[in-house]
Amino acid sequence: MMKNFIHSRSLVVMTILIAAMVCTPLVSSFPTGISGVKDSGCNCHGATTSDSVTPMIVGLPEVYNYSEVYELTVSFTGGPSTPGNINLGGFHLWASEGELSVVDATVQQYNPNEVGHTEVGNDQTSWTVVWTAPATDRNVEMILHTNSVNGNAGDGAGSSGDEWNKITKKINAPILVLESANPYVVLSTLIIISGILLIITITYIFYRTNPDSFNWESFEPWIADWLTTTDHKKIGTLYFLAGMFFLGIGGIMALMIRIQLSVPGNDFLTQDQYNQFFTLHGTTMIFLAAMPLINGFANWMVPLQIGAPDLALPRINAMSFWLQPVAALLIFTGVFSGTGADTGWTGYAPYIVSETAHVGTTMWVAGQIMLVASSTLTGVNFLTTIAVMRAPGMGWMQMPLFTWSILVANLMLFLSIPAFGVGLVQVYLDRVIGTAFYDAASGGDPLLWSHLFWYFGHPEVYVVIVPAFGVISEVIATSARRTVFGYRSMVYAMAGIGVVSFIVYGHHMFTSGMSPTLRFVTMLTTMLVAVPTGIKIFNWLKTMHKGSLIYRTHTLWALGFLITFTLGGISGMFFPSMAMDLHFHESYFVVAHFHYVLVGGTVFGFFSAIYYWFPKMTGRMLDERLGVLHFLTAFISYNGLFWPMHRLGIWGMARRHHTYFISTEEAMGSLPAEAAGWNMFISISAFLFFFSNFILIANMIKSVIRGQKAPADPWGGWSFEWMTSSPPPTPSFPLDDLPTLRDANEGHIANEPSAIVRWFQGLMVLDDNEEEAGH
Amino acid sequence: MVASTLFWNLFDEYVLWSLFVGLLTFGWLFHHSFWYVSSEGEKYDNPDKIEVGVFPRHNDDMKLEVAWTILPFILIVYLTYISWAPLDAVWTSADGGMHGDECEEGQSSNNFLDSNSGAVVSECYHIIEITGKQWVWSFNCNPNEDAWRGDVLPDRGYELATDICDVGTIAIEGYGMQPLLSLKAGETYLAVMQSEDVTHAPWIQAIGTKEDVLPSQKTTLWLPMNEVGESMILCTEYCGDAHSIMSAGLFVHN
Repeated sequence: MMKNFIHSRSLVVMTILIAAMVCTPLVSSFPTGISGVKDSGCNCHGATTSDSVTPMIVGLPEVYNYSEVYELTVSFTGGPSTPGNINLGGFHLWASEGELSVVDATVQQYNPNEVGHTEVGNDQTSWTVVWTAPATDRNVEMILHTNSVNGNAGDGAGSSGDEWNKITKKINAPILVLESANPYVVLSTLIIISGILLIITITYIFYRTNPDSFNWESFEPWIADWLTTTDHKKIGTLYFLAGMFFLGIGGIMALMIRIQLSVPGNDFLTQDQYNQFFTLHGTTMIFLAAMPLINGFANWMVPLQIGAPDLALPRINAMSFWLQPVAALLIFTGVFSGTGADTGWTGYAPYIVSETAHVGTTMWVAGQIMLVASSTLTGVNFLTTIAVMRAPGMGWMQMPLFTWSILVANLMLFLSIPAFGVGLVQVYLDRVIGTAFYDAASGGDPLLWSHLFWYFGHPEVYVVIVPAFGVISEVIATSARRTVFGYRSMVYAMAGIGVVSFIVYGHHMFTSGMSPTLRFVTMLTTMLVAVPTGIKIFNWLKTMHKGSLIYRTHTLWALGFLITFTLGGISGMFFPSMAMDLHFHESYFVVAHFHYVLVGGTVFGFFSAIYYWFPKMTGRMLDERLGVLHFLTAFISYNGLFWPMHRLGIWGMARRHHTYFISTEEAMGSLPAEAAGWNMFISISAFLFFFSNFILIANMIKSVIRGQKAPADPWGGWSFEWMTSSPPPTPSFPLDDLPTLRDANEGHIANEPSAIVRWFQGLMVLDDNEEEAGH
Repeated sequence: MVASTLFWNLFDEYVLWSLFVGLLTFGWLFHHSFWYVSSEGEKYDNPDKIEVGVFPRHNDDMKLEVAWTILPFILIVYLTYISWAPLDAVWTSADGGMHGDECEEGQSSNNFLDSNSGAVVSECYHIIEITGKQWVWSFNCNPNEDAWRGDVLPDRGYELATDICDVGTIAIEGYGMQPLLSLKAGETYLAVMQSEDVTHAPWIQAIGTKEDVLPSQKTTLWLPMNEVGESMILCTEYCGDAHSIMSAGLFVHN
C-alpha cells in the first residue's frame, strides 16, 4: 500500500511539473496577448457598431513590397458627424505586422503597430498615417475603428449619440503565405497516421518472425520484450531503426530546402518555413540520425568485440535509448503548429532568447536537454564497459579499432557535453522565466553561448566522425586480408584527434568579435588537426599494400569514404587560414566542407558498417548486386550534390538564406548568372542521392525476408564478434565461459606494458589484500 | 566576385597544395585498389596470421609512420606561415598600423597594393559606422558621440566629403528598397559596428570579408577599397525571419 501511495504521489508531482512546463511558454507567448485591441476595439463611443458609419483606408496595396513605406489616408463617412460640430470624429488603427508611424500632430502613436487621433485631430474626418511594410513574408491584417461624433461633448453630454464602426483589411505578402492549419488537428493527424503505420509494420514483422503463432498470447510477450529490453543487441537495433528513420526525415527536409533553392527567387517555401527546415535538418541529422546510428553499432558491436556478455549498465542503456524518441517529439513539437525552432542548429544567442525567435524554440531546447542526458548516460556506460569488461587476454592495445573509436568518441562526448547542457539550461531559463544570461541589454553576454556551444560542438563533430574511422579501419583491413597498418599509430592518432578537438573550437568564431589572440591560437591548433587525420589516411592506404583486396559492397564504401573524406579534409584546411575564412565563413563553401566530412565521412562510413555487420546482426547476407548499384548511384549523385557547392561559396552564396538572386544586365544580385544552373544541378543530384538510398532499404528488407543464411565469419575478420553465431545468442558470451584473446605477436615489444602504463595500472587496480590492509 | 588579392593569393597557393596532396593520395589509392586485388579462387598467404579470436600480427613500420607524421607537419607549418602574414592586414592596429592613423580633413588614403603579400597599405583611413538591426543595415559616414551607446567614437571635427562616403537607398530586385553605401576607390575605411538587437554580420562581397555585429560590444572591420564596382552586402550571421534579404548595395566609384 505504502509503495502505491508513494508512486501515485510522485505521479501527481510529475503531472504538475509537466503541465507547468507545457503551459508556461504557451501563455507568455500567446501571439495577440490574452485580449487586445484586436478583440475589444478602441475607446468606442457606444456599445454596438452602427451601419451608418463607413470607415475607409486609402493607399493600401493588395500585395506589399518588403520594407516599402505606404502613406495611408484613414477616413470615414456617415453618422452624426456634420461640418460645424465642435468635434467631428476619431479613429484607431491597428496593424498585425509592420510599423505604423505618425506624420503630423493630428495622430499619435500608442505602439509601433497602433495609432489613433490626438486631441487636435478630433476635429476632422480624415487623417494621414504612414505604414512601413514588414521585411518578411507575413499576411497582414489591419483593423480600423472610427467614431463619428455629433459634437455634444462640449455640452457635457460626452459621447452620447455618437456612432462607430470598424473594418478589417488584409494585405498579402509578396510570397503567398498559407493560413496555418489548426496545430492540434495537424498534430493529432500525424500521430494517428504514424501510429497506424507503426502498428501495421510491427504486426507484419511479428507475423514474419513466426507465421504459425500469430495471436495476442504470443504477441504480447514479444512486444513487451522489445519495449522493455535491456539486451545490448535489441537496443542496438532500436537505435539503428530510429537513426534510419530520422535520416529519412532529415533527408526530406533537405529536399525541401533544395527545391526552394533550385531557381533564384523561388517561392516554394516562405523565409519562415525555410528557417525552420534548415534548423531541424541540422538538429535531426546530427542528434537524431548520426548519433543513434553510431550508438546502434556501438551497442551491437562493442560488447561482442571485447567479449563481454552485455554492457556494464544495461538498464541505463535502455534509458539512454528511450530518452531519444521523447526528445525527438519535443524537438519537433513546434513544427506541428507552424512555429518550430528557427535558430539554426547552433542556436546563436541573443537571437535564441529574443522575442523574434519562435515559440517552438523552447521545446527544441527542452528536447536537446534530454539528448544531453541521454548522451551522458551512454558515455558513462561505454567508458565503464570498455574499461572493465574486456575479455581475458585483451589489453588496451589489443582492442579492435572500432572499440577504440567508440572509447575515444564517448570520452570526448562525456567531457564536452556538460558545457552544452549548461548553455541549454541557461537558454531555457532565459526563455521561460526571464533570467538574463544572454540578454545584452541586462548585461548578459551573447558570446558566452558561442563559447559553450562550440566547446561542445567541435568535439561533437569529431564524436560523429571518429567511429566512422573505426569502421573503416576494420573494413579495409578485413577486405585487404591484412592487419591494419600501424595499429598503435592509429590509436594514438585517434586519441590525438580527441585531445586536439577541445582546443580548436575557436575557429568557428573567427568573425565573432572574440579576442584576436584567441583566434590566432585556435588558428594554429586547427592547422594541427590535419596531422593525425593524415596519419590515419596514409595508414589505411598502406594497409592495402601487398594485401589481397576482395571487392565487397562494404569495401567499395570504405574506398569511397577515403576519397570523399580526403576531399573534405583538404577543403577543411582552407578555413584556419584567417584571411580566406573571412570570406568563407557562413558561405556555401562551409556547407560543402561539412557535408563532405559528415556525409562522405560519417554516413559513408556507416553505410560500410551496415554492409559489413548486417549479416552478423540478422544472420542473413545482403544482396551484393543491389549493394554495388547502391554504391554507384549514391556515390556519383552525392558528389554531384556537394562538389559544386564549393564554387557557389566562393562566388558568394550565403548559407541559411532562403533564396538568392543572380546578377543580370538589368539587376544586381549577389551571384553570377551561372549560379542558377549549378543550383538546379545540385537540386537534381539531391533527389537522385535521396532516392538511391532506397536501394539500401530494399536490400535490407529483401535480405531479412529471403536472404541467404550468413556464416559466423563471412568476411574473415579476427575480432570476437566473428566468433559467435550470426545472429549472436543472448547473453552474447556466457559469463562462465568468456573467450580468451590470444596474440599472434608473441614476444613483440608492443605487448610489454610501458613504464607509464605500469604506473597507471598501479593507480587503477587495488589488490584485494591491499584493500584489506587499508582497513 | 571577390576582388581581394590577399584572398586569391592564399587561395591559389592552397589549391596548388591541395592538388598535390590529392594527386598523391588518390594516385596511391587507385594504384593499390587495382594492383593488390584478390583474383578469383586465389589462396592468399595470410602474412599477418589473421584468425578469429587471435590478435593478428602487427603490421607496422616506424620509419614510414614517423615520415607521414613529419612531412604533413612540415606542410602544415608552411601553410600556417603563409597564412600568418595576412593576419596583419586583417587586424592591423588603428594607431599607426598598415593603414596609418585617421585621416585629417581633405587627406586621402592613397591606397597602395603590395603585390607580394596582396595586402593594401594606406596613409590614413576614414571611420564610418555600420549598424545592424532586424532586418536592415544602416550606414553612417559621420559617426559622432551621439551615436548609439555613444562611448567610443570621438568627434573627428569635420564631415567626410560626399565623394568619399555617401549613403542613399537603392531598389534591388527581389530585395526591395535597401540602403546604399557609396565609397571611393583608393580609400581605406574602418567600419565601427554595432547591433541594436541580435547578432548580424555584414558580408562585404566585393572584398571578401565580414565580421559579426554584436549588441554587447563594438566590433571593427577594415575596408580597403581598391576596385571600382557595384556589389552587395549580405547578412551572414543568422538573425531570424528576414535574414536572407537583409542586404545593402555597395558602390565603389573613382
